[in-house]
Amino acid sequence: MATVTFDSATRIYPKSDRPAVDGLDLQIGDGEFLVLVGPSGCGKSTSLRMLAGLEEIDAGSIRIGDRDVTDAPPKDRDIAMVFQNYALYPHMTVEQNMGFALKIAGVPKSEIATRVAEAAKILDLEDYLGRRPKALSGGQRQRVAMGRAIVRSPQVFLMDEPLSNLDAKLRVQTRTQIAALQRRLGVTTVYVTHDQVEAMTMGDRVAVLKDGLLQQCDTPGTLYERPANTFVAGFIGSPAMNVITGPVVDGGVRLAGAVLPVPRERLLRAAGDGGRVTVGFRPEAVELAPEGVPVVVNVVEQLGSDAFLYATLGASDDGDVLHTADLVVRTEPRSAPAVGETVHLRVREGGLHVFDPVSQQRID
Amino acid sequence: MTTLASAPEQTATAPAATPTRTRRRGARKVTSAGPLTHVLLVLTAFLSVFPLYWTAVAASKTNAELAGTPPPFLPDADLFTNIGRAMEEAPIGLAIVNSVIVAGCITVGTVLCSTLAGFAFAKLRFRGNKTLLGLVIGTMMVPTQLAIIPLFILIAQLQWVDHLQAVVLPTLVSAFGVFFMRQFLSQALPDELLEAARVDGASTMRTFWSVVVPVARPAMAVLAMLTFLTAWNDFFWPIIALTSENPTVQVALAGLGGGYVPDTAVIMAGTLVGTLPVLVVFVVLGKQIVGGIMQGAVKG
Ligand SMILES: Nc1ncnc2c1ncn2[C@@H]1O[C@H](COP(=O)(O)OP(=O)(O)OP(=O)(O)O)[C@@H](O)[C@H]1O
Ligand SMILES: [Mg+2]
Repeated sequence: MATVTFDSATRIYPKSDRPAVDGLDLQIGDGEFLVLVGPSGCGKSTSLRMLAGLEEIDAGSIRIGDRDVTDAPPKDRDIAMVFQNYALYPHMTVEQNMGFALKIAGVPKSEIATRVAEAAKILDLEDYLGRRPKALSGGQRQRVAMGRAIVRSPQVFLMDEPLSNLDAKLRVQTRTQIAALQRRLGVTTVYVTHDQVEAMTMGDRVAVLKDGLLQQCDTPGTLYERPANTFVAGFIGSPAMNVITGPVVDGGVRLAGAVLPVPRERLLRAAGDGGRVTVGFRPEAVELAPEGVPVVVNVVEQLGSDAFLYATLGASDDGDVLHTADLVVRTEPRSAPAVGETVHLRVREGGLHVFDPVSQQRID
Repeated sequence: MTTLASAPEQTATAPAATPTRTRRRGARKVTSAGPLTHVLLVLTAFLSVFPLYWTAVAASKTNAELAGTPPPFLPDADLFTNIGRAMEEAPIGLAIVNSVIVAGCITVGTVLCSTLAGFAFAKLRFRGNKTLLGLVIGTMMVPTQLAIIPLFILIAQLQWVDHLQAVVLPTLVSAFGVFFMRQFLSQALPDELLEAARVDGASTMRTFWSVVVPVARPAMAVLAMLTFLTAWNDFFWPIIALTSENPTVQVALAGLGGGYVPDTAVIMAGTLVGTLPVLVVFVVLGKQIVGGIMQGAVKG
């Protein structure tokens, strides 16, 4: 077991002018399950591959435990990796696949057999040990890939979207199983996904990346409660947080002719630029009220337990709304308004996030 | 935690129930052929086998019998007599041994070197990769004839004339083989598989033997077959570098049935004997060319 430290680690691919990972700083605790999440192309896989030693590090350093592994080859890092497409050796049986690393390390045959059998038992693969990968289902292959990693008892597990090739239902089940297994083994794990639900449910902490830059690294709860900027605010949570920019008026921000109250001291700090402020509120932090910001309902989505309203800000004669995104509002399914109706919104106590309209950073 | 997988198992198999039917119907379409296809296949097979059969027929007749109308279509018991005569006229036995050695060495050398080089060109990052590959491919455009004289001078200086290494060494690796293996590996061998091996602690050489070669096996078999055939049938360079004292099969055959009127039966008998080892190689290697070896390596 070990900690993992990224120290301003940077990767610039050859013939590329922009770093794929730019000065990444991360401290991952011993036994921690850290999830790297972000949109496609944000540098998640690159970060993981830098840690694995499959990608050069152009600046900064990476440490596993107290050891600087910046220039160490993968085999000297004591890590095991689960690939997105599993990368099982096609000509080897499940047993040989799982035992390959140990065989190379010169572990005696009998010990390999014991350790493979142990891993097979944990993953319920005992009946498939003699099979080749092509005779396995997607879920079984995924487990073999996991088995190949745990057999080695490495210092760190690295997983790059290991569930993305499974169907939705299997993915949900396997997700909890991987998280449980990791907690049981207590091995430091870095897990890459682009699915924020996966990130929130599995990670002890979640690191959000965008364009190679770390946006925020925190517990799922904090990411949800206190997103550091509008990107994280929009990325974490489903449906996404509503983020709107409007002009500052006395006591709040004016949206569609109505005033959404914003605490005074936050308003003052935000209103540097031309008297505007960006506010955000989650669909579940809003309620319908007799008075408030008027919106026109476009679509009502009934999910049984909830209903989601997709709405646009109501007409306002002074054209003061600078950011006219669709708003999403969660309501009681039974009292959901009809399409075309105008309703008034109020943000619940503590449900309002304030951001600087220029830097997009959170203001508390 | 032992239940870790039993649950997903069910979901993995359950939804398969519906698609099986369509899939099976699709499979039948691929595996079963109509009557027309069968006729065509029989015809093709017949056309392919006929020359060999005719060789056997001709090898068992005399010149006069062959010239008759209609030509004979059934072999004769004279076949073995004619084979015996051919063996007397030229050292066919020695020639076959020589050819097996020559073609065998060339095949092993070419397949090994081509796979190694093809792997390096396809998957390893090194400076000048593209330029070197271009250079290798470029050598394919140089005609063999152009190299013959300098090559002969070299061989003569080494005093290798009439020695087998004179035939083996110049063709121990082929540009075509390198290119062929590179194309196959760059497409059939996923990078992740190599990365997995690296993370598992395998050195490049270990990865080559344990991961690359098994994946490359079908292409290696194809290359081996082509190389063996080319080497076995090569005539131009062997007849320059070797003599009838220590010939390969093709060189020995060239000396058969000579005289005022060529003795077709003896030539054909020699040819027949000289062809049999090639057939054996085909049967053995054909089994290696099994498609779909990569199935299941990556993706679900
Ligand atoms: N081998 C490469 N050469 C050049 N650029 C690359 C290479 N691999 C990735 N990139 C670039 O680096 C950036 C980050 O890629 P990376 O694979 O880390 O993204 P990702 O976050 O894993 O995305 P995804 O969710 O789609 O897998 C992308 O802009 C990509 O185009
Ligand atoms: Mg990726």
